[in-house]
Amino acid sequence: MSFAARRTGLATRLGVLLGLGVFLVWSLAPVVWLVLSSFLTQRALIAQPPDLAPASFTLQNFVAVMQSAASLGHGMLNSFIVASFSTALALALGAPAAYALARLSLPRANVISFMILATQMLPGIAIAIPLFIVITRLGLIDNVWTLGLVYLSFNLPIVIWILRGFFLGIPQGLERAAAVDGAGPVRTFRYIILPISIPPLAAAAVFAFIEAWNEFFFALILTRKSAETVPLVVAQFAGQYQTVFGQMMAAALISVAPVILLAIIFKDQIVRGFADGMMKG
Amino acid sequence: MPQVELRNISKSFGSVTVCHDVNLIIEDRAFVTLLGPSGCGKTTTLNMLAGLEDPSAGDILMDGQRVNERSPVDRDVAMVFQNYALYPHMTVAENIGFTLRMRHMGRGEIRRRVEEVARSLELGPLLDRLPAQLSGGQQQRVAIGRALVREPRVFLFDEPFSNLDASLRIRMRAEVKELHQRLGVTSIFVTHDQEEAMSISDQIAVMSKGRIEQFGTPEEVYARPATRTVAAFIGNPQIDLASGRVEHGADGLICRVGEAELALPAGTEAVAGQAVEVGVRSEHVQLSDTGAAARVRLVQPVGPATHVTLDWAGGTLTATLPGIARLAAGSATAFAIAPENLLVFDPDSGKRIGGRTDA
Repeated sequence: MSFAARRTGLATRLGVLLGLGVFLVWSLAPVVWLVLSSFLTQRALIAQPPDLAPASFTLQNFVAVMQSAASLGHGMLNSFIVASFSTALALALGAPAAYALARLSLPRANVISFMILATQMLPGIAIAIPLFIVITRLGLIDNVWTLGLVYLSFNLPIVIWILRGFFLGIPQGLERAAAVDGAGPVRTFRYIILPISIPPLAAAAVFAFIEAWNEFFFALILTRKSAETVPLVVAQFAGQYQTVFGQMMAAALISVAPVILLAIIFKDQIVRGFADGMMKG
Repeated sequence: MPQVELRNISKSFGSVTVCHDVNLIIEDRAFVTLLGPSGCGKTTTLNMLAGLEDPSAGDILMDGQRVNERSPVDRDVAMVFQNYALYPHMTVAENIGFTLRMRHMGRGEIRRRVEEVARSLELGPLLDRLPAQLSGGQQQRVAIGRALVREPRVFLFDEPFSNLDASLRIRMRAEVKELHQRLGVTSIFVTHDQEEAMSISDQIAVMSKGRIEQFGTPEEVYARPATRTVAAFIGNPQIDLASGRVEHGADGLICRVGEAELALPAGTEAVAGQAVEVGVRSEHVQLSDTGAAARVRLVQPVGPATHVTLDWAGGTLTATLPGIARLAAGSATAFAIAPENLLVFDPDSGKRIGGRTDA
């Protein structure tokens, strides 16, 4: 690209800004509404239009949620176990698999990679019922480890694809140097490839963790009480006769807090990881 | 016994053959360069020697033993890569010591050997730095250190200086040559820079299109090129070639190029009427009052010598004259070439059929 082409006109720049603005509003509006409504009284919330007068704001929703803190805490603990378990397994299995697919001369590596991605194309509902039947028959229903394994089956392909893209971009010279230095594929992976792959590993981990943390549908089908995760607990604020929106939003806000925290802590690594990973998908 | 030998080595990637029937014998303690333009198969040849690529056909021998199936580490070779290939997350000391760690050597012994190598390469103060904190020259030194610490039987260098600036390249060249003189370890060096090859090697294998065109000392490939390709690749300024026809002259065979007549060297394998190509190095062109007519096109003084570009019946020709030559562009002149300095090639096969047979 020449320098002349880089010097974009004012109109173009305004257009880009406008586009980004629309995108931001589109993405953030639900979050803003979530935060606002968690602080509004039920009456102000269901008024048409919603009553945003200072008097309508209250901490009552959070107080109420804290009164049922036991179930929210239980849900968060379950979510944490399920998400950590499935993320850890996805990385432990996905990283070597991605490396093998990217770098070792496996026959039909591209076909295998595509088939791994193709598993993601099935709608969840298509496998939900067979999965439910199998898991019930095995007596593994309402079990955090079962749910973790189910999430692993969604997360593993994504982790493999993120990491494979990154591994494809690593200069071959490093592996050749390691081979001449006396390291086989396993030791090359362990001592050279893994240590330089922290950003994409972090990106993949955060991605997998968030997916597992937020998942609702399979958790609803495969758990009862003891293994219920945070999204299910939040949903229970929708009562049989009346949905207490404010409390539901307060609970939702509390439940997403750890994930947002995680994303902020690993922000740089996520951005770098995805940028590297997507370069050669 | 030759230390490294390639026997009928061929290498194909799919339908593309990059090495054709390569044969090479490298004696113990020699410094041999594989020289050629990019894509000539020199790096592939080096990778096959290292064990990083498998030959499609042929045998690789080290100390008389076939090593085709041996892993790089079992061949006891060390390699310096074009892009250094330093491990970015390891310090200089860890980079150099990695290969010893892979051999399960004790920490104390690793530290002792790393420090010894670092001292010899003046890397001592940099041992705790990461590669990103080093200059290009320092990174290349670390890469050499990583090869040295192994005390290997053979050193392989894959265009190690191509990313360095000109002055650093010349300094590193001298360092590697001194290193070879001191350690006497067989070294195989790949480069596309003919001047680098000439200055550093005991022997040069000139490669083109996956074949070895000529294998000889720097003097041999320069003064007695086996083919037109070798003659054209070696030497700066490049050799000038002209097409002509062989005739009988007063004192033996001559080559006629337009109006000009050039006496052919004794022993040229050609007959009257045959088409030939003649070539001459610029230092062998002498400006004179008699001889082939020419016109001065360009005068380029470079300090110790002056390159004069001439237009003549055969095209253009460069003469290198000592010192600063005062010549005007556009002026008429004439040149002569001593018959023994003329190189004669068969235009079809490209093989040399006349010219020097001595040094």
